[in-house]
Amino acid sequence: MTDIKIQLGRAEAIAKLDTAGAPVTTEWLLGQLPFSDQAIHSMENGREVYSILDAIDTPPPENQSIYQAVGDLFVYHKPAIFVDPEWPRHTRNYLVVGFIYERDSAIRGISGPLAANIVGTITDGLTELAHEAPRMRREGMGQLSIERL
Amino acid sequence: MRKLLFEMNGAKAVAEMHDDIVPNTCDAIWDILPVDGMSIHANWASREIMLHLQGDKVLRLPAEGHNYRGTIAPGDIVYFWRSPQMSRGKQLAYSSEFQRELSEFAIFYGEPSGGGLAANDPSRDHDASLQVVTLFATFIDLPAEFVEQCESVRHQGLQHLTVSRYET
Repeated sequence: MTDIKIQLGRAEAIAKLDTAGAPVTTEWLLGQLPFSDQAIHSMENGREVYSILDAIDTPPPENQSIYQAVGDLFVYHKPAIFVDPEWPRHTRNYLVVGFIYERDSAIRGISGPLAANIVGTITDGLTELAHEAPRMRREGMGQLSIERL
Repeated sequence: MRKLLFEMNGAKAVAEMHDDIVPNTCDAIWDILPVDGMSIHANWASREIMLHLQGDKVLRLPAEGHNYRGTIAPGDIVYFWRSPQMSRGKQLAYSSEFQRELSEFAIFYGEPSGGGLAANDPSRDHDASLQVVTLFATFIDLPAEFVEQCESVRHQGLQHLTVSRYET
């Protein structure tokens, strides 16, 4: 297991990467770190916070699930219409890294569930994230940062 | 048909009420106008902002008109009421009174609208004692400036929204 630190605004959390279940995605994600960008709250999936990854290479489908759980850290391609108000002319989806902080959430595409690479699990600080994300919904979204410990 | 004026940060939009389809709902809403408050963005129903009705503006209306569950179109404006104890999760982004019972205008300002978990809720659908969803107005003038303000709620947090009678 490899630990990473997730910082959402004022909240900090620790996640363990699933090096056994998602070795390729884990290695790929570590190659993107440290990472810091605008946090975005999902408008279609429930209690999901994510950021867009500006990566040239993308991980293959691995350790995927359409039944994401609270505390899952995942990587997937989100339909662009859920990010931009209008369809970008040459972009149909964005690669995102995100997590679910409370239940009643499910990643979906335009017409149904969407599989995400489950790359890790938040093991500490989930409660803090679950308070910070709703605060940001009210007061404005801040930064999402991820770094290797 | 009566018309409604929506104003957010200087941007305006006009909607027409469905007096012919849901007259009682339209009357009840018309009577409490103007309504203002802080709008919050949806996190299940895609491009929707919500204006929670509070204090003496809270409405508890019976179902009226067509069964609304199902298709939602951009521009739809819905009266939504949800009974106590039917919330999903803690609703920490809401004020404490709305973490229990919910009475609101649901304002669908763009594509995609609705769908997902917001549209598939068998435990609450078709039981007006638990939830009322009534389409009562549709935007007839929805300028890009107003849409941009709605989108900004998602990123910048709560924004002040006023809904008033539009009478020329």
